[in-house]
Amino acid sequence: MVGELAGNYSTVVLMFGFAVVAMAPALLISRMISPRKKSNPVKFLPMECGQVPSGEGRTHFMMQYYAYILMFVVFDVMAIFLYAWGSALLELPKSATLPIIGFLAIMFAAMAFALYQSGKRTIW
Amino acid sequence: MSVIAPNFKFSEFVKSILDNAFWILLIFVLIGLPAVQVILFYIEMPVINGELLTPFLALTWLADPSRTLPILKAFMTTDLFKIVAFPGFGFAALIAAGTIFVERKMLAKLQLRVGPFYCGKFEGILQLMGDGLKLISKEIIIPAKADKPIFWAAPVIFVATAAAFVALIPVAPGWVVADIDVGLLAVFAIIGFFPIITILSAWSSNSKFPFIGGIRALHQMVSFEIPMILSLLGVVILTGTLNLSEIVESQTNFPWIIFLPIGAIIFFITILAELERIPFDLPEAESEIVAGWLTEFSGMIYGLVQLATYLKLYAFAALFVVLFLGGWTGPMIWPPFPEEIINEGIVMGPITAKIPGLPIFSQEMLNGVLWFVIKTVGVIFFILLPRGVFPRIRIDMLLSLGWYKLIGLAFVYIFIALGLLYAGVLGPGGIL
Repeated sequence: MVGELAGNYSTVVLMFGFAVVAMAPALLISRMISPRKKSNPVKFLPMECGQVPSGEGRTHFMMQYYAYILMFVVFDVMAIFLYAWGSALLELPKSATLPIIGFLAIMFAAMAFALYQSGKRTIW
Repeated sequence: MSVIAPNFKFSEFVKSILDNAFWILLIFVLIGLPAVQVILFYIEMPVINGELLTPFLALTWLADPSRTLPILKAFMTTDLFKIVAFPGFGFAALIAAGTIFVERKMLAKLQLRVGPFYCGKFEGILQLMGDGLKLISKEIIIPAKADKPIFWAAPVIFVATAAAFVALIPVAPGWVVADIDVGLLAVFAIIGFFPIITILSAWSSNSKFPFIGGIRALHQMVSFEIPMILSLLGVVILTGTLNLSEIVESQTNFPWIIFLPIGAIIFFITILAELERIPFDLPEAESEIVAGWLTEFSGMIYGLVQLATYLKLYAFAALFVVLFLGGWTGPMIWPPFPEEIINEGIVMGPITAKIPGLPIFSQEMLNGVLWFVIKTVGVIFFILLPRGVFPRIRIDMLLSLGWYKLIGLAFVYIFIALGLLYAGVLGPGGIL
């Protein structure tokens, strides 16, 4: 049963594997036929528009996005949960929809409040 | 005077050929023959014309043409064919290649340029081949202090993930690589990998512009993943299934875009964002951050990333077709296979060639593929079009569009779908 269920996905994995097997030779061939000139120190510097790079490449970068990432973690899971309900909706009695509407109302009200809060730049 | 090979020696040339022949023979004996044995033992061969297909019988088609088509048909039902050629990689790569060429030509016409023109006799039609040859013969430069294994693996994994996405798309009845019960959830699972690959390659390259581009890609995904997931919920509510083939079959009378236009619009906008296309191409904004997360890619690595991008474009357009435009459904416009060729064979003067095994593809399948390709090409056209029309939007506008407008719209849309179901318009027992 479990193996059968997993067997359905084997073609996806095979497709993934085929793409790796088919595309990795492109890199190998490219590596074999392309010229490899003698290196000089400038050639392998990271691209910074012709300037000599300053500082580390892997910098710490403030994107002011933390509130949205937190919301994403919560509401992405909510959205996937809704699929469990949506795909079974036709078999459920009509009264079973009311709790889900309550769930939706709570979640979207919470989302609206969180969006309102994260829109206020001063507290972040 | 320039000489192609100034140090050419005939004896060295012969020696190199013999050396290569020796190594090929050695590798064949040591690896190829055991591999053949393993295949003969473990691979299940099909039964054709009442006898089990052995390699010997498979080769007799050279002498007996009546065996050719049955062998071909048996081969076409295997997973290998589906993965390599038809609904899988080959088909998608063909459409992706066509898309690249059409995009360049169409953008050029929109901007009153000529576009690719010289390569190939007609309108630069071989430009793509030329570009591929150029890319494969270019040196791959990896920046110093880069994380080499990840940097090499990222483009290959990007292609492979796009191919895994393609595997889920049903093209014609029964013609899908992976027919999974929860196909739509599998699609979401695979879509979630793309930003991870982006940010991995960006982080591994040890350079600032790719890093900023990678972070932008992550933020774009965070903004648009939820509207995308919610925009498909209405279709699932009305069909009651997550299997993509069954969703297509539910649209034989009318496509869902007629009843769920809001969902289609939200999904289309999120497609543009997930594909990093103008107006949402912030991760590779070439006028702000050089080329975004593609900055350090050179040679064939860049070529693979381009291929994967367009495979992804095809897969998303096909997903839109499957969910909202009715997939392969459409009126029968493919002519039926002529009966007399099946019954009497092809008559050419005194010779009558009777070919068993015809027709190779059924009429329904060819018609379905035709409709699917027509619809997919139409959607791809609308995905390409904004690139010639719109400017790029700012990242805060993208954020407010994704979080404030599209999610609110998706919320309204879920209730429209529920209302259609409970008002008795659609769904089982509905008036349509």
